[in-house]
Order: sequence, then C-alpha cells, then structure tokens
Amino acid sequence: MAARILAVFLLLFLSAAPLGSSLYEDQVGLMDWHQKYIGKVKHAVFHTQRSGRKRVVVSTEENVIASLDLRHGDIFWRRVLGANDVVDAIDVALGKFVITLSSDGSTIRAWNLPDGLMVWETFIRGSKSSKSLLLSGTNSKVDKDNTILAFGEGCLVAVSSADGEVLWKKDFADASFEVQQIIQSPGRDVVYVLGFVGSSSFDAYQINGKNGEVMHHDTASFAGGFSGNTLLVSDDVLVALDAAMSHLITISFQGGGLSINEKPISNLVGDFAGPVEILALKLGRMFALKANKLITFISISNDGKLDVLEKINSAAAISDALSVSDGRHAVGLVQQVDNKVEFTVKLGNDWNTNLLKETINMDHQRGFVRKVFINNYIRTDRSHGFRALVVMEDHSLLLVQQGEIVWGREDGLASILDVTTSELPVEKDGVSVSKVEQNLFEWLKGHILKLKGTLMLASPEDMVVIQGMRLKSSEKSKMTRDHNGFRKLLIVLTRGGKLFALHTGDGRIIWSRLLESLRKSEACEHPTGLRIYTWQVPHHHAMDENPSVLVVGRCQQNLDAPGILSFVDAYTGSEIKSVGPVHSVLQVIPLPFTDSTEQRLHLLIDAKQRVHLYPRSREALSIFQQERSNIYWYSVEADKSIIRGYAIKRTCVHEDAGDYCFEPRDLWSVVFPGKSEKIVSTVTQKLNEVVHTQAKVMAEQELMYKYISKNLLFVATASPKASHEIGSAIPDESFLVVYLIDTITGRILQRMTHQGCQAPVHAVFSENWVVYHYFNLRAHRYEMSVIEIYDQSRADNKDVLKLVVGKHNLTSPTSSYSRPEVVAKSQSYFFTHSVKAITVTLTAKGITSKQLLIGTISDQVLALDKRYLDPRRSLNPSQAEKEEGVIPLTDSLPIIPQSYVTHALKVEGLRGIVTVPAKLESTTLVFSYGVDIFFTRLAPSRTYDSLTEDFSYALLLITIVALIAAIFVTWVWSERKELQEKWR
Amino acid sequence: MKRTEQSLRYTRAQGCGEIAQRRHAAALHHPLPAVHLGDVRLTSHRPHRSPAYRSTISSIESILAMMELERWGPSKFLPTSRLLIVLAFVSCLSCVFVAGRSADGYTINGRVKIPSAGAKGFGLLGKISDVKVILNGGQKVTFLRPDGYFSFYNVPAGTHLIEVAAIGYFFSPVRVDVSARNPGKVQAALTENRRGLIELVLEPLREEQYYEIREPFSIMSVVKSPMGLMMGFMLIVVFLMPKLVENMDPEEMRRAQEEMRSQGVPSLSSLLPSAARN
Repeated sequence: MAARILAVFLLLFLSAAPLGSSLYEDQVGLMDWHQKYIGKVKHAVFHTQRSGRKRVVVSTEENVIASLDLRHGDIFWRRVLGANDVVDAIDVALGKFVITLSSDGSTIRAWNLPDGLMVWETFIRGSKSSKSLLLSGTNSKVDKDNTILAFGEGCLVAVSSADGEVLWKKDFADASFEVQQIIQSPGRDVVYVLGFVGSSSFDAYQINGKNGEVMHHDTASFAGGFSGNTLLVSDDVLVALDAAMSHLITISFQGGGLSINEKPISNLVGDFAGPVEILALKLGRMFALKANKLITFISISNDGKLDVLEKINSAAAISDALSVSDGRHAVGLVQQVDNKVEFTVKLGNDWNTNLLKETINMDHQRGFVRKVFINNYIRTDRSHGFRALVVMEDHSLLLVQQGEIVWGREDGLASILDVTTSELPVEKDGVSVSKVEQNLFEWLKGHILKLKGTLMLASPEDMVVIQGMRLKSSEKSKMTRDHNGFRKLLIVLTRGGKLFALHTGDGRIIWSRLLESLRKSEACEHPTGLRIYTWQVPHHHAMDENPSVLVVGRCQQNLDAPGILSFVDAYTGSEIKSVGPVHSVLQVIPLPFTDSTEQRLHLLIDAKQRVHLYPRSREALSIFQQERSNIYWYSVEADKSIIRGYAIKRTCVHEDAGDYCFEPRDLWSVVFPGKSEKIVSTVTQKLNEVVHTQAKVMAEQELMYKYISKNLLFVATASPKASHEIGSAIPDESFLVVYLIDTITGRILQRMTHQGCQAPVHAVFSENWVVYHYFNLRAHRYEMSVIEIYDQSRADNKDVLKLVVGKHNLTSPTSSYSRPEVVAKSQSYFFTHSVKAITVTLTAKGITSKQLLIGTISDQVLALDKRYLDPRRSLNPSQAEKEEGVIPLTDSLPIIPQSYVTHALKVEGLRGIVTVPAKLESTTLVFSYGVDIFFTRLAPSRTYDSLTEDFSYALLLITIVALIAAIFVTWVWSERKELQEKWR
Repeated sequence: MKRTEQSLRYTRAQGCGEIAQRRHAAALHHPLPAVHLGDVRLTSHRPHRSPAYRSTISSIESILAMMELERWGPSKFLPTSRLLIVLAFVSCLSCVFVAGRSADGYTINGRVKIPSAGAKGFGLLGKISDVKVILNGGQKVTFLRPDGYFSFYNVPAGTHLIEVAAIGYFFSPVRVDVSARNPGKVQAALTENRRGLIELVLEPLREEQYYEIREPFSIMSVVKSPMGLMMGFMLIVVFLMPKLVENMDPEEMRRAQEEMRSQGVPSLSSLLPSAARN
C-alpha cells in the first residue's frame, strides 16, 4: 500500500513536470557547449582589396561555403550545402558576390559577401557529365556588369554576375568531345574552349564572348594520344602528357591554328619510374611536374622552349600564382623541414629571387602541408608582404604571416568518424587542482552577486557578471574524475586520421594526435580510420595504468583491404603500439571478458568471416577457449539480401598467426527474396546498455515480462522501388517489412509489413523495444512505429504464493535455443520531420525513464519521451492507466520546442548522436556531431537524485538565518514575559 | 471530414501494424479541401499509359474539376462564361508556381514567407539567409533568395516532399505532386493539416520558443517553496499558538502550569540521553 501511495506521489510529481527537460535562456552554456567548424578547405579566395573587414572565402570537403575573418579565423557566415551538392569552384565577382559552382557544374549560386545571403541561383541543364569549370572576370572592373563563364554538364554558359541571368549558352553535345580548358582572352571578347576528341585529337573552338557563336574551329591530331588532364600554362600554351606518360606535349593554339610539340620527360627530369603527374596549378608561364617523388618546375619561354627551374621534394605544397604589381607573378611554396615549415614566395618570372623566406615552428601533430593559398598586402614601407593560408594533413587551417601562425582552426573535428569516452584520472591526495579563491572580499562579492541574482534584484550588468562566473566555474573543467561522472574525455576519431580528446566540461582539446599508423605509407596507400573502441579500462587489477583505446582502420576503401590497428593511451594520446597492415576488418566485436591487465578481448572478423582474437596473448587465448562455444556472430550482406549466422569451427589452417585465428562454421542464414525485398537497415542493441528490471507492471496489477535478449537484430527490408529516395516510388509498389531476428538461432521472432511505406529507415533498439522511422507514401508523411516484445512463458509468474514457494521459472537460465513464446505489441504515429539520426538515452543503472534523441533534418536534436511511443496508448486511457502515465493517443507525435536538446542552436550537417551514462543515475551525457559538435547533459526524468543547478542556496541560508533570529527573538520575548509573570 | 478523422483514431487505437495500413488507406481517401487535388493526384503517377487513355482521363478530370468548381464558383455567370473562367482558372493554377520542363525534370518554384514585425513581411536578413529548403529528406537542399523565393531544378515527375528548416519557426512539410501528364503541373498540400495550397507559399505554422520563460520573482513562489512552507509553519506556531493559549480558561491554565511545575519543565538537557541516564 505504502508503495502504491509512493508511486502515486511520484506520478503526481512527474506529471506536474512537463515531459522532457527544458532550459531557461540564462542556462545556455552551463552544461552544454557548441563548436562550429567548416571542414577541410578545398578552395580559398581572399578578399582584402577594400578597406574594412579582411576576409577569406573558403569551400570545403564537407560542402561548406564560409567567409572567415582573416584576423582571428572566426566564421562570419557559413552555408552548408546538401550532401551531394559538391562545390567545384568558388570565386568572388564584382567585389561583393561569392560565386560557387556546384553539383558537377550544374548549379551556379551567388552569395552576398557581407552576410552570406543567396542572391541568385542558376541551373545549367546539359546533356552529359563533364568537367566543371568556373571563370569569372578576374580583371575586376567593378562598374562593368561582367559576365561569369561556367562550364558544366557539357555546356558553356555565360551568366550575368549581377542577377544570374543566362546571357547565352553553347552546348557541346558531341559525346566524344571532352572539354579540358576554357580561356577568356583578356583584351578581346573571345572565349577559347579546348578539349580532346577521342584520345588522339585536339579541338579548339573560338567563341564570341558576346553571344556565344562559334567563330572558329581548329582540330589537330596527335598520334601518341593524350592522357589525364591538361594544364594551361599561359594564355596560349597548354601542357599535357601523352598516353604512354613518357612525353610532355605542349600545344599552342593562338596565332592561327594549332601546333603540337612533344618532348620526352626523361630529358627534363632525368630517368624516372612510376607515375608522372602535372600538378593542377596556375603558375604563369610555368608548370610543375611530379615524377620520381620530386616536383620539377619547368618554365616555357615564348618560343616554346622548356627549361627546368628547380627540383624540390614532393612533400611540399605550392600555391597558385598571385599577380603582384606590374605583371609579375608570385608563387608560394611551403616545405617541411624537420619540425619546421619553410614558407617561400618566389617570383614567377625570376625564379631565383625569393620575395620572402620564413621559417615557422609547426606542431608536429599537424602532419604535412596539404594546400597553401597566398595573398599579398602592402606593408607600411610600400614593400610586399605575404600571408598564407595553409591546410594541413589533419585538415586544420592555419594563417601564416610574418613567420608566425596568426590563428589556427581545428577543422578536422568537422569530420568525426567515431566517438568513445574515457574516464578522467582520480583526484589524488595532496594534489590540489582547484585554485584557492583570490581573497575573501572577492569571494563575498561573488556570493552577494549570486544572492542578488537569485532574488531577482540584479541589474542586467550584474546578470552578465553572474553568467560569466557560472560559465567559468572551474569545477566543470577540472582534469579529474568527479563524483557525478559528468567530467569525461570524449575521444573522437576524425577522417584526417587524427585523434582528439575533448573535455566534456567545456569542450577544450586536451590532446590531439595524428596517428602514425593512419598516415599514408608504402604499405598503405589510402588509409582511413573506421571505428574506435575502448580497449582497456583499468580499475581493479591495473589501477596505475592509463586507459587506452583501440583504433581500427583500413588501408583502402574496399572491404577486403588490409586493416590497421592502433592502441592509444587515453590520457596522453601517445600511440602505445600499432599493428598492421593485417587481415581485413569487417566487423569488430568487443567481448564481455577482460584479461588480468583489464584489456578487453576483441574479435575482429575479416572478409572471409574468419575470427581474429586480440589481444594476442596466451592468457586472452585461454579465456577465449573457455567461452569459445558460446560465441556467435552474424553478417549482413545487403547487396545479396542475406543474413548469415556463424559460430567458431576450428583454428585457422593456413594462417601465420594460427592460434589467434579461427575459422567460421555456418549456422543459419536468412535469405530475403532479393527481387522483392532489399535490406535497408539493421540495428542491434547497444552493448553497454543496462536493463534495470525485467518486469513491467501494468495497470490493474498486471505484470508483463520484457523479452530481453542482447542477441536480437532488427532488420528492415523494402521493395526495390521503395529503397530509393522519396519521390521515385508510388504507394502501390512499395512496402516495408520489418523483422526481429534472433542472431543465435536465426529464428524470426516477429515480422510486420507496412504497405505503401518506404525507406529511409532509421531505427533504435533498446531493452525490449524498437522504434523506427520511415516514410508513409499513402499519407505522404513520416511515421514512427514502436514494437515492444514481451515474454509470454513467464507471464504466469504472477501468483505471490508461487513466488514464495519457489514454483516459478524466474531463476531458470534462459537460453537462446529455447523457443520462448513472445508477444509483440506495436503502434504507429505520424512524425513531422525527416530524421538524420536517432538514438536513446542511456543511464548508469537503467532506472531512469528513456528519451529518444532524434536528429532532425533541420540539424537539431529533439528529445522525445519514450512514453509517447508506448503501444498501450489509447484514446481514452482508464484511470489506472492514467495513474501509470499512459498518455492519451494522438495520431502524431508532439514536437515541443522546449524539448530540443540543442535549443536555439544547430549542429550543422548532423551525422550522429552518442549518449554516455554519467555516474549519477538520473543523468546522461549527449554528444552530437556533424560539421559542428555539440555536447550537453540530459536528465530525462529531471534530476531526482541531486539538487539542480538553480537550487536556491540563498533561500536556504535566509531561512536558516531567519529561523535562528526567530529563536532569539522569541527567547527574549519569553524571558520578558516570564519576568512580567514573576513581578505580577 | 470529422467522421473520417474519428474512424482513423479508432483504428489507431487498436495499435497493430496491419491495422495501421488500413488507416493509411483511410487517409488516402480522405477528401482534400483543396480544389480537385485528390482526383488529379491519383492518376498522375502513371506516366506510361496510352495517349488515348491519357486524353480521356484528362477530359474526365477537367469535367470533374469543373463540377467541383461549380459548387463553389459564382453561379450568376452564364454557362459558357463559367466554362471559360474555369478553364482560365485551371490553367492559371498550373502556371502559378510552375516553370517549364527541361530535358527530364521539372522545376518547382516556391516562396517562403516568414511573418515578422517588419512591414516588408520578412525578418532580419540574417534570419532569412539561415533558412534551408529541403527536398525529399535531403536529396536536394536550396536556400532562399532575398525575396524569399526558392527553386528546385531538374525534379522528376512524382510526389515529393518539401521541408523548410528555419530556427525559431515550425513549418509543415509540403507534399508536392509534379505531374508528368500535364507537363509541369504542380500541386501542393501541407501534410500536417492536409490543407491544399493554391500557391506554393510556405508560411510557418507557429513560432518555436526554445526556452522556458523564467517567472518573475514573487512572494508567492517563495511562500510555496519548501523553505517558505517551513517558515510559515514556524510563524504559525510562534504567533498563533500563544493566541490559542490566551483564549483558554485562566483556571485551566493555572492548573496546567502547576501540573507542569510539579513535573518539572522539560529542558533541553533532560532530553539528551546523557541527562536521561542521571
């Protein structure tokens, strides 16, 4: 009874609070942080001519166009284009518009330079795919309405830069004509379009720049054939390689007709082996050839003579030529010399004079220089100064000026691949991390201010000071473990092959490391990181060791490429050891066993489904051998629509590391009819999820037992038409089928069809339920469905007497081979938005109610209480159900703006959401990443186990003081009264 | 309209996957309040039918449209003029937010209107530049021009979904049908409330407030807090109890006092365990 009353009270308490957590505006930044990034820079255009703000406009590999402050590296504005809207070229036109060419040259957009507003957009519809080129009148006569020439999809288009109007269009529809270059003659309004026809013929068109008419057409053939790209060296000379890559071809096309010359490369470079490449740089009467791991600069004189200027090491980045005063060109070169970087600016016309030579100390962890963009400015003594924007191997962006790094941006964090967390070290005695308050006066002042704040007496200026104090509180950014488990290290792996450790308190970078094993090497040409796992969490046995993480990578994009393993210390970032290239890695399974040094056992599955055990030690092997018969795994072959289950058969026969390699045994397979069903999504439970209770008490004292199995796999398949994008299928021919499959036996526990529905499917699996999001073509809205699975075989364990006597099967072991009777309950609801990612909050003990975290298409993260997705919801819930918190049924899920976890912020380009339980049961940590990163702390059913941040300590103090005062006053009164009594 | 919604809810109440499908079917046959959106859309998915079939269908459709319009249209016109008006209206419907077709796709033009305090109908420029318009859940993303217009180019015929992402506003996704049969004919309806759109002008359904509003300081909030309740109780004990005592009969009081004196006033020290032992 007491329990029931308590429950009612709890419910009253809970129902009084709105579902989900919400935030006051002045709490922003207290427990969350948000960082904006742009990604690896591809193109950069400086805009420094005018007085006023100096800026650089960049486009990146994350399809971001951004305008950066050249002084501090801050973002003025930023636009994130769609995922398949890759930026091909950018330029600044008229001094006020940023012109971008994107989507394979089919879209030209102009953006207002000061604020990033899109001014116009023009779409080019061509007939074939081709190179995309952008040419905006670089001779910037601002007063003239100059035209932009864009080439894309086989079309040459002249567009007015003021309003985006297409002035004329010339379609080069001939399929074999491959346009290589477009040149606009500076004086006359003539446009040259140059390209290959087939492999051995070179065509040049002269086009009237006013109306797009072909004025002249030349063809020349070359027996050797062309290969690769061409490079425009000056206004009338083109350089290319022949098909055998042994000769350099120069084509000059002005002055009436085409003339082709060839010259053996060996004459210029000497003997060479391996591939030759002309670097795509505009150097002005000069070009760079990469051969023999050397970059050779070759100049072309007016009569077509080739001269070798210099040979440098290929680990250098070269900028495009920058026109300095009176027709001179400057070229920037950045070379790596040990730990330093050498920045040289040379004159194009006179290669031996260095305009500038600077040495810069560079952090070793940034790797090689990948790209450099230079810009000049006039010093006070009228000489030329140069600044360089440098893109490093780890995708970071640096501005170098006067031998120093003016600012740097860690833009590697825009492309996070995977995240894991690590605990901070325990605070040791005698090591005081916190600073002592300056003096008593400051301390008092701070507290008086806070008191004023809580009593709402503070002026706006005071509020600013209070806010600053709260944000700066050293408590949350300490480098030690805290009691509540809020302070952790987020270890993120980025596409650049760099690991970052971020502090959850304020998001600062604790350490960062470019992993040696994920860098390009002889054995591994294109390494990429894949996933990151917790390798070692020392607690009982190895208390003094630092925790470590396992980074898994792959040498190439294809699945059967050799894998790379790297073990990294989570406190210092140093690479403990690395293995590889080894066998391919398809799947990594962390096992729930650890060895004596707390290293977790991991199984790596290769492309042939062989199992490799790590760590490779005798001890790990003996632990594994004991559990060998209990290890099962599965593979999903989405292209063949097959899911297979495996167990271990025997140790590998033909393998060097024999003992640690095991061969698979096929157990089961689920073959979906490939013609009618395609696998679109598979989801399992999180391995680290904790389930608090197996029983669920329903209304009217009913008891249901959750069917909890870690071996369940949710599979969604769709008809072939429905597995594409929205808009391509009609309801009649699309359907979605969802399955719940036991991965030990291959048994299908549940199958459900949604007619007229289609992919994309985003799903999350937790405890005994799955929630999935898909598109309903009939209603033309998104829907979310929930499936909850209950175990019927335990359903009759309700009798108290049976429980007391012990006649129940609750303690009997569960086996995946037994066939429990399960009951699935399901319900569907409409949901407004498209979804990018979906996950569920995890807490330490699993007691706290759950919230779904939904990354919406608008790059926000919405927290939706799981109670909204409860199959027991009905139109008119009974009194008992209401008490229990069942919400009346509505046809769509509510979107409450206050329950956006990201409040008024956006996580641009959202890709993933990660939740990590804190030590405090009520709280969970949420990290979402995309181009931006965002971290916050959530309490799905409010912080019931600790005082909230806004708990009014002042009021508590005032009350105590008032009570003490009251005691004294009443004491005096009673004394006086007693005295009067006595005198009476 | 109400009845269908009711039945929809009843089917939902049973909460099963198979039943959910029936609900969708119900939703499809749900009559749309817009001009003839429902009829046209049902046939617009079949681009490869014989031309004869197409023409018959389109003629049937136009009749249907006329009938539909007649119900609402002004009845004082002569039949012929009415027909003309209807035709003009129908053709205008398609021209309002449609552009021509290019090679194998159509262009969807539309406008996002964000009401604000500004008289021009648009908020700050910074705000409008942050608005994204998204086709089919991210297939294409575009931005607004200064006047609020946007375009999607090269969209194939079919039924598409347009979403508007703007911080601070809640927009309903829009269902857009691009007809292959009547080149470039586009029809749109909000999916949240199934309202048809004559023009593709998207307006937010509501503003979104992401923060809780902090209530101003008030005495009541202090009184209601646990501390306040404690204080209140104390005050009652301190000030009201003596009053109660005063109202007692003086003789009874004296008796009680004497009784107390005989027992000894329970002091704090006597309550302590050490005192109790003595």
